[in-house]
Amino acid sequence: MKIIVNGKEAGSKETGCALCGATWGEYYEEIDGDRLFFCCDFCALEFKNMVNEVKKRTGWSKIDELIINGNYYTGRTCIAKLGEKEYKFYVKFNEEGDVGIFKEV
Amino acid sequence: MPICPSCEIKFNNWYDVAEHIDLMANKRSDKSHVMWLNRNLSIKRLSKEELAKKLEDYFSTPEGLGMWIRKRFIEKFYGENPHPFILAMQKPTRGVLLGYVIEHQHFLKNWVKVLSSIVFKTDKDEVVEYELENIAVEFIGYKGRPSHYELLLRMGESLGMSREKILNTQPLPDTQFAINTWRRIAEEKHWLITMACMHSLELVADRSLRNYGAKLHYFDPQILTSDEYSQAVKDFLREGYEADVSHAGEALHLVEKYAKGIEEEIQINVLKSFDAFSKYLFARLERGIELEPQLMRVITR
Repeated sequence: MKIIVNGKEAGSKETGCALCGATWGEYYEEIDGDRLFFCCDFCALEFKNMVNEVKKRTGWSKIDELIINGNYYTGRTCIAKLGEKEYKFYVKFNEEGDVGIFKEV
Repeated sequence: MPICPSCEIKFNNWYDVAEHIDLMANKRSDKSHVMWLNRNLSIKRLSKEELAKKLEDYFSTPEGLGMWIRKRFIEKFYGENPHPFILAMQKPTRGVLLGYVIEHQHFLKNWVKVLSSIVFKTDKDEVVEYELENIAVEFIGYKGRPSHYELLLRMGESLGMSREKILNTQPLPDTQFAINTWRRIAEEKHWLITMACMHSLELVADRSLRNYGAKLHYFDPQILTSDEYSQAVKDFLREGYEADVSHAGEALHLVEKYAKGIEEEIQINVLKSFDAFSKYLFARLERGIELEPQLMRVITR
């Protein structure tokens, strides 16, 4: 999965956390066959919950590309891509790392 | 004394704090330490030496503690990316204002409870007087004028929502989270920390913030004379607009006066209070979106 966070490629130790772009930490999770880097387990949890929500709503089995803009304070406006298809959404997580607000935009 | 801003352990110097944070964030990926770094210092990993220097600079107070609090508030709420609720308040719709009313009633009720904990704990008469006056202004009414709480409810009624409906609406989770944060501070911390954490929030409506670098006012002051808004809306907004310059400034002065020895504890708890406040302001907007779905454009622009 190609991931862009606030305009920069992310998802590896060199490029930063797949959700927030931070280069602190040392946490990895395998998601859709990719070993992704996260700054902490909480970002990983939020990322997985977000991906699962997108799959549930679109019926897609995977995501090719994910463009994420925003942060913890404002929530995140995102575009998920699969082939030629695009799905735009806004997501904000709750204190447990679950999807708190999710709206198609 | 330098303190870890995440877990509040005390250290002898900033390098020791940096070593501790490096261990917690980089070796253990501890979410609390990583989140603090991401939200306050940098999302880019730093060496221990760089981190120690950044921490020392971040917490230094060359212009005094009050100014440090003021500048951090501006950075978080009025800087390059102003808070979405403040953006929405530049030309508030009915949904924004009703979101404000519904969530803020819970904030105000909690506000006076927390202030009364300061009254209970302090031995400074000037602090007792300041807080009791604030409690009266916010909740009881003062010098023949209605309380902010009453003005808030009247604003809601003028927007077409009954007082009963407003009062019977439970707070959103982010409002409740923020309230719990402030109650925990009030229960566990020194009264001066509580005072700093609460009254620094009044900076939100402080018109003088523009003099220190804020990009916006809390709302466009033309609202106060506009025919587009009811008198009750203008009455509520005017109270905050006129009162909070003196309130926040006076409180920060008192905090600075008595802060010796606990400056760093005040600083890190003020940052926690700002995080809670950000969530709470967002809850006002979230409530507004429930009533007016097109408000989503404020946060997805």
